[in-house]
Amino acid sequence: MAAVTGTSVRPTAPPGLIGTRVNRVEDARLLAGRGRYVADVTLPRIKHAAFVRAWPSHARILSIDTTRARTLPGVVAALTAADLPPATLVDGNWIPGLAKTPQPVLARDKVRFVGEAVAIVVATSRYVAEDAAELVEVDYEQLPAVDHAGRRPSGHVPILDELPDDLIYDRGESFGNPDLMFRDAPHVFVKDLALARSMAAPLECRGTVASYDPAAGSLDVWCSTQSPHLLRRRLSAASGVAEHRVRVMMHDVGGGFGQKIAAHPEELAIALASCALGIPVKWIEDRRENLMAAPHARGQRVHLKLATDDDGRFLALRARIVGDAGAYSFNAASALIEPYITARVMTGVYRIDHYGYHVAAGLTNKSPVAPYRGVGFIAAQTARELLIDEAARSLGIDRFELRRRNMIRPDDFPYRSCTGLVFDSGSYLEALTTVERMSAYDDFRCEQEQARASGRFIGLGISPYVEPTGWGTEAMNQIGWHSFPSNDSARVSMDISGKVTISIGTPSQGQGIETTLAQISAEVLGIPLDDVVVSFTDSSSAPTSLAGTRASRAAVVSGGAVGLASQDLRERILKVAGALMETDASILTVADGVITDPSEDAASMTVAEVVQKAFQLTEIRSAEPEPNFTATRFYDPGATYGNACVGAVVEVDPQTGGVRVLRIVGAEDCGTVINQVVVEGQFIGGMAQGLGGALLERLAYDENGEILTTTFMDYLLPTSTEVPHFEVEHLESPSPYTWRGIKGVGESGTIGAPAAIAAAIADALAHTGSTVDRLPMLPEDVRAMVEQGEDRG
Amino acid sequence: MTVQPDEVVVTVTVNGETVRHLVDPRTTAADFLRDGLELTGTHLGCEHGVCGACTVLLDGRSVRSCILYAPQLDGCEVTTVEGLSPVPGELHPIQEAFRECHGLQCGFCTPGFLLTVHEFLSETKGADEDEIREAISGNLCRCTGYQGIVAAVQRADETWQR
Ligand code: FES
Ligand code: FES
Repeated sequence: MAAVTGTSVRPTAPPGLIGTRVNRVEDARLLAGRGRYVADVTLPRIKHAAFVRAWPSHARILSIDTTRARTLPGVVAALTAADLPPATLVDGNWIPGLAKTPQPVLARDKVRFVGEAVAIVVATSRYVAEDAAELVEVDYEQLPAVDHAGRRPSGHVPILDELPDDLIYDRGESFGNPDLMFRDAPHVFVKDLALARSMAAPLECRGTVASYDPAAGSLDVWCSTQSPHLLRRRLSAASGVAEHRVRVMMHDVGGGFGQKIAAHPEELAIALASCALGIPVKWIEDRRENLMAAPHARGQRVHLKLATDDDGRFLALRARIVGDAGAYSFNAASALIEPYITARVMTGVYRIDHYGYHVAAGLTNKSPVAPYRGVGFIAAQTARELLIDEAARSLGIDRFELRRRNMIRPDDFPYRSCTGLVFDSGSYLEALTTVERMSAYDDFRCEQEQARASGRFIGLGISPYVEPTGWGTEAMNQIGWHSFPSNDSARVSMDISGKVTISIGTPSQGQGIETTLAQISAEVLGIPLDDVVVSFTDSSSAPTSLAGTRASRAAVVSGGAVGLASQDLRERILKVAGALMETDASILTVADGVITDPSEDAASMTVAEVVQKAFQLTEIRSAEPEPNFTATRFYDPGATYGNACVGAVVEVDPQTGGVRVLRIVGAEDCGTVINQVVVEGQFIGGMAQGLGGALLERLAYDENGEILTTTFMDYLLPTSTEVPHFEVEHLESPSPYTWRGIKGVGESGTIGAPAAIAAAIADALAHTGSTVDRLPMLPEDVRAMVEQGEDRG
Repeated sequence: MTVQPDEVVVTVTVNGETVRHLVDPRTTAADFLRDGLELTGTHLGCEHGVCGACTVLLDGRSVRSCILYAPQLDGCEVTTVEGLSPVPGELHPIQEAFRECHGLQCGFCTPGFLLTVHEFLSETKGADEDEIREAISGNLCRCTGYQGIVAAVQRADETWQR
């Protein structure tokens, strides 16, 4: 059985490395157990840290006593905020109306969520450090917890003094004239959806090793991070060590999915501890810490209204979104990353000319919210697609047909949405039709009838979508999101042996970047894949990428920069080759590392020979005065949008509320495909995470702000038995605005799958008259739907 | 070797090599392998026995090294990911199958899966997809969605001469 049923429907690339299925070059070391993750880093004199973390969710710190901890044998130090220079983290977002909430790297006067770091113990081993952490005595005056954005408990004390109502943002915007359209609309449909908190939960937790050298005045940091240059900036600001003396390094990262974008308070605190003590300090997070104190995600309530005419044409849309920020508007991208993005992408793949939204985000006494794969999109996608299904049912129009009537069409491109997104190219209708075929929709309807007659409830859900990828400056302007400069540079250097090293600032957390970027460079340069290595291990040698690896951007932005730099390098090599071969460089071809002059009976030289001669022969300098074979290029792509459609079939057990996903099919379009192996891996892995968010993953707090899900026995990730075999087909609509038409795909599957699964549950239980109003749909939530139906019936 | 009152001696054969080490008795088997023997291919994803990233073979059976103590390894034979392929630089057929079928992304869960699959395929031939999914259901992978891993097990079932 093939792993994936896939065909390239519109192959566009000429035969070459770009577009070829290539096994990943990073795999051999990972399979041999020779991956190097941050927990594997060790240094002479290294000591191990454990954090003392807050147990109350909201409290004033009256005193901290570290005496007992410090006297335990093996303890080097026990440090509180008072022992370290004051350092805070603030988001770099400049959306008007967004309040700033500086977060101290160790809590000073107050703790604001369970798990907030209060002190660090450094000892000879992690075991001793944990023992000593339990001996640190913190005296708290407890305050009432704000457990729900915008809800004030009795005796309410604001989480931050400056924000008496805990609100950090409360604004809206209108496009077209939604008021008028709603007033005159023949039909209005309404939908409420609550998304619980969930999280990225990469299998490798966070971790860092910091080594300050007081003699050199330099700070070396190894970290499990997605954004080494961003972290370097924050480390420099916190420690006072100049940025060029701070190095951030990493080798392999065990998954990130957004959680490792931000500079985390713990990472800064460990660096400050190393500076204070003058020794290397290592902190490797455990799962309990990760679940309670690493940033969470989602946590939104969406209220949506759709106006249609009698034929089901979408006249206007209105959204009200409330986001649960957690205790701080986190430095990754601010607490608006969920609700604001939801609002801005709400109209999706449909022609909707009139739209208004209101977004509120409020602090709560919970772990802060940060980006997690599909951030913001999932809430928009799930609420909108569920609402469209409800409208279809009520209007008596088939669900595929209703979508088709309202979808942006191929001849609409470039299509400007009412909110100002300019969709460059895509296959929206085709993706929908492909999923209709793959899911055998007509047969499914009969099957569903028969099943129902025999007391089984199966349902089908569909979820077509478009997503911004790459997020260059133009895309950010279109979305109205201003948080990080999204450009990259890449340096492509050929050494004297004719082999190439690519340096980039966008590390891989499993996305196969070492392979795909090597494919790009090898194809452009005309050399074998094996002659290219990709290096992202050191912030001091990699060209700056402040954004790092996030937002489905590495293939588009780093890929484009690598492509452009490789083109420059190719030109320089051919120029020298032309001089050596005494011919016009423009007629030379290069393939498999050999440069050929087609006019001269196939006269040829290898690329390596050309480079070697250029170093040796001074005569060459009349053609190429500076024969260095290094090219660096900057790239900030035009706005580009990927698209896809996911279909899901589920069976619901009305007795237990259990949901089994029987099938998931998907048609995906990320423009020019560099490597199908990697694209399928991203798409399928993303859909599996979406399944977790739809059916399993919920971070729960009680009303006092106590977190209840602190192990993988309470916070359930999908296993191989909950996840079905995914069937995938590829469509290919290259972007006219990016290098070689590449679009991103990292987040795609995670965006699409939850809506498809939620809609399938709603379809299976449509006869009950109940609707899906939350994610995830745990068995008790499904049971509640069934019971509501029974009460009504 | 002088044994301190709070230390115990552990004699264990790891990947074919017998070693004698002094350990603090509360050291987990995983930390002993990673820190004591510097075999860092064994990973820790939860340290409470759920994720399977720390899976190693103990006398041929898969175990979670994060919930065993180092002294429990005494007198036993342990195989870690580093010992799967007898020849450095070459991959075991299971490892090769994972590469062929894109059975890994970040690679953090991978050593645990490889050893779980090693045990499964040592005992089974010709398993169908459901049986394979059941066999690997105690290991979590956050990246792949399991599809490549299932395909890799099917491939290794064919290619591994055993
Ligand atoms: S680390 Fe041992 S099972 Fe997760
Ligand atoms: S490959 Fe990343 S967790 Fe499995």
